[in-house]
Amino acid sequence: MRRTGSGWTALLAGFVLLATSPAWAEIDFYQKADRTEVGTEDTLRLSVVVVDAPPSAQVQLPAPKDFEVLSSSKSNQRSIQLTGGGPAVIQDITTHTLILHPLKTGKLTIPPAVLTTAGRTYRTEAIELTVKAGRLGPPPGQATHPGLPDPFRNLPPPMDPFEEMEQDNDVPVIPRGDSDLFLRASLDRDEVFVGEQTTLSLYIYSRVDLSSVDAVTMPKLEGFWSEDVESPTQLSGEQRIVNGIPYRAYLLRRRALFPVKAGALTITPAEADITTGFLFAGHRVHRVSNGLKVKVKPLPPGAPPGIANANVGQWQLTMDVSPTSVELGQPITVRVILEGTGNVKNVTPPKLTAPAALKVYDPTTTDKLTPNKNKIQGRRVMEYLVMAQRTGTFTLPALEFPYFDPRRRAYDVSRTDPVTITVEAGAGGTASTGPSSTPLQDAASEQKNVLSAHGLRPLRYQARFVAPSTPLWEQAFFLPAVLAPLGLLFGVMLLGQVRGRLSAQTEAGRTKQQARAARKRLAAAEKLVGEGSTSAFYAEVEKALLGFLEARLHVPVVGLTREALAEKMTAAGVAPERCSKALFVLEACDMGRFGGGAELSERNRVLDEAEAVMEGWEK
Amino acid sequence: MSALTAILAATLLGQSYYTPEEAQEVFSQANEAYAREDYATAREGYEKLIAHGQGGPDVLYNLGTTYLAQGELGRATLALERAWKQGGRAPDLEANLALARAQQKDKVEGSVVEEDFLTRVVKATPGELIGWVFVGSWVAGFGLLLLFRFLKPGRRSWAVVLAALALIVAVPAGALLSAHVWVARTVREAVVLPKVMDVREFPKEGAKAPFQIHEGLKVRVLEEAGRYVRIRLPNGLEGWAEREGVAEI
Repeated sequence: MRRTGSGWTALLAGFVLLATSPAWAEIDFYQKADRTEVGTEDTLRLSVVVVDAPPSAQVQLPAPKDFEVLSSSKSNQRSIQLTGGGPAVIQDITTHTLILHPLKTGKLTIPPAVLTTAGRTYRTEAIELTVKAGRLGPPPGQATHPGLPDPFRNLPPPMDPFEEMEQDNDVPVIPRGDSDLFLRASLDRDEVFVGEQTTLSLYIYSRVDLSSVDAVTMPKLEGFWSEDVESPTQLSGEQRIVNGIPYRAYLLRRRALFPVKAGALTITPAEADITTGFLFAGHRVHRVSNGLKVKVKPLPPGAPPGIANANVGQWQLTMDVSPTSVELGQPITVRVILEGTGNVKNVTPPKLTAPAALKVYDPTTTDKLTPNKNKIQGRRVMEYLVMAQRTGTFTLPALEFPYFDPRRRAYDVSRTDPVTITVEAGAGGTASTGPSSTPLQDAASEQKNVLSAHGLRPLRYQARFVAPSTPLWEQAFFLPAVLAPLGLLFGVMLLGQVRGRLSAQTEAGRTKQQARAARKRLAAAEKLVGEGSTSAFYAEVEKALLGFLEARLHVPVVGLTREALAEKMTAAGVAPERCSKALFVLEACDMGRFGGGAELSERNRVLDEAEAVMEGWEK
Repeated sequence: MSALTAILAATLLGQSYYTPEEAQEVFSQANEAYAREDYATAREGYEKLIAHGQGGPDVLYNLGTTYLAQGELGRATLALERAWKQGGRAPDLEANLALARAQQKDKVEGSVVEEDFLTRVVKATPGELIGWVFVGSWVAGFGLLLLFRFLKPGRRSWAVVLAALALIVAVPAGALLSAHVWVARTVREAVVLPKVMDVREFPKEGAKAPFQIHEGLKVRVLEEAGRYVRIRLPNGLEGWAEREGVAEI
C-alpha cells in the first residue's frame, strides 16, 4: 500500500489540529451559600458548582446535620468564549442547588462537598454560617465565595447561570399555538411596597435553533421607575424543563422596577422578532409575551417626617469632610454619601446645612450603581464645596436620612455625626498680594475674615430711665411762657403811649417834649461831628441848645443877647457853672458858623459841653 | 442667680416705684436673662420698668430686641418704633428696626402713598429740641425788646440786634413746632400685633374681609367705630381692623 504522506507530516497535522481545537479548562469545584447570616425562619440556598468535570465524575453533596434539605435541583450549562485569534474556551458547568432550612441557632457549619473522578477526590471548603432566631429576610447583596475561583470572572457579569436560576423559579405556561418558541415575562415578586424593587425578566423559551433576535419591544412600565439590570448582547441559553419538556431559555432583558405609586399596576406584554434556523432554512417569527400585574402596597403608617416614596431599601448615610482644619480662603470638600440597596438614582440625600460663616456652594451629584444578584444597589454622592468666610470653629450639624426597610417592614433613620471645622487665619495673609493687580486683590478679598453686619444688634447695657414724656407743648408752662413776653411787650408799649398822651396835655409835659426834641437834635448833631460842613454842625448844636433852654426856662430865648440870656438863666436859678457852659457853647456856635472851630477836637468839646448843659437839669 | 438676688429682685419688682439704683438692678438682671437666652424673664424685667415709669428709649430698645429674638415680630416692631419716637435714634435701633421690617410678612405693593410734607418734616426733626429752641428764642427776643425800651439812646443798639436774631430763630422754630403739634394731634400710627388679622370692608363682625395683614405691619389709624378702627396701609389700602389687634406707637 502506498503511503500518502510522511510520518512527520501526520505529526504536524496532529499539532495543528490540537492547536485549533477548543481548549478545555481544568476541573473547578466549589460550593457557596447565598448568605452568611440566616434566620431560623429563613431558607438558605447552597450551590455546589462543578466546572469541566468528566461525565464519570461523582458528586457527593454535603449533608449538614443542623439543616433540613427542603429541595435539591441540578442544572447544566455550556459556555463558549471566543477570544481574538485564540482557541475557543468551552466550559461545562453543573450546578447542584440545595434549599436548606436551619434547625437551630448559633454558629453552624455546612460540611464540604466531595467530587470523585478518575481516582482523584476533590473537596470544597466548609461554609460557616450564623443562624439567628426569627426571620432576617431575603439574602443580602453579597454572597460568600471564600477563596474559591469564579469560573466567570473573565466574563461579563450577567453570565453567571446561578443568578438566573435564582430569580426565575416560576414555571412558565406553554402557549398552545407556539409551544416550540414563546416569549415569557416574569417578575421575581408581584407584591411589593412603593419604592421597593421587583425585577422583570424577559426570556425566550425555544426548542428550535435560534439565529438571532432582531427586535425587542419592552412593555410599557407606567407607574414604575426602571433601571436596566441585564441586556445581553449575545444569546446564551440554558436548559430548563417545562412540564417535562426540555427547553433552551434565553434571557433577553432584565430590568429592576421601582413602583412610584400604590395600587394594582399592570405591565403590558413585551414583543420580539426572532429569526430561527440557519442560512436559507431560517425564517422570522413574531412573539408576544404574557402581561403582568403587580400589587403595590403603600408604605405603612408611622413614617418619619420628610420621608419620600423613594426612600425605600437599606441605606447608610455618611458624611466625609476633608479637611476639617483649614486656613481662611481654602476650600473644604464635604461629601454626603448615601449607600445601600434601593433606587439609588431616585433617592435624595439630605441637604447639607452649615453655619452662616461657611458658604456652601451647590453640590455635584455622582451615582455609582453596582447591581448584585439583580438587586440595584450602589451609592449616591453629593459633593459640596464649602468656603469659610471667617476664622473660628464651626460645626456642620448631623444629617438624617429616614427610610423604610421592606425586609424588616419597619422605618429606620440613618444619621451622621456632627463635624467640627476649624478655620484659622492664613499664614501668608494678604502680605504677598500686589497692590495693583486685580486678580490678586480678588484673591486677597477671598481670604478676608468676613464679619457680616447682618443679624440682631446687641442690647444696650446703659440706660437712662425716664417716664413717658408729655410733649413740651402740652406742659403747663408752655402757653404762659409763649404768651407772657408778647403781652409784656404790648403792655409796656401801651403804657408808654398812655404816658405820652397824658404828658402832652400839661405844661410840664410840653416842656419835657421840647427838651426831648432838643436832645434828639443834639444826637443828630453828634452824627455831623466827623462829617458834613462845620456850619451845619454848629447850627444844629445851637438849635438844640436853644430849644432845650427855651423848654427849661419857659421863655423864648431866640433873639436874646447873651447877657439877657444869662440874666434869664440866673433868674431861673440855673447854676452859674451850667450857665457859663451854655454861653460858651452858644459863643462857640457863633464862631463856628462863621468859619472857626473846624477842628474835630473843637467840635467834640462843644458837643460835650452841650450835653453837659442838658444833663442833670431838673425835669 | 443666688437666692439673695432673687429675693431682692422679687422685692424690687413688687414695689410701685423704683429708685434709680433699683431700676438699674432690674435692668441689669433683665440683660443677664437675655444673655442666657431666657427671653421671657428678660422681657418681664423690661416691661416692669416701663410699667413703673422707668422706661425710656433704652429700655424700649432692649424690650424690642428681646421680642425680636423671641420671634414676636409685632411687639418687637412696636417697642422699637416707640423707642424711635421717644428719641432713641441710634444705629443699633435702626439696624434692629430694619431687621424687623425685613422679617415682616406683608409686602405692600402698588404705588406707595407718599406722606405729606409736614409729616415727613416732623419725622425728620426732634420735636422736644425744637420746642425748647422756640421757647428760649421767643422769650429771649421779647426780653431784649423790653430791655431796649429801658436803655438810653445810643447805647441800646446791641439789644435790638440780639432781639432780632432771637426772633429770627423763633419764627421757623415756632413753625416747626406747630407742625409737630399738628402731626401729633392728627396722625396716629400703629403696629399690627397678631400673627394674622382680617381687614374688613365695614366695622362689622360678618363683613367681607378682602385682605389680611400680619404682625409687625405699620399702619395709620384714621378713625374708630366701636371695637374697630379704620386703618390705612402705606399704599393707601384701607379697611377696618379690630382695635385690639393694633397698638398705637
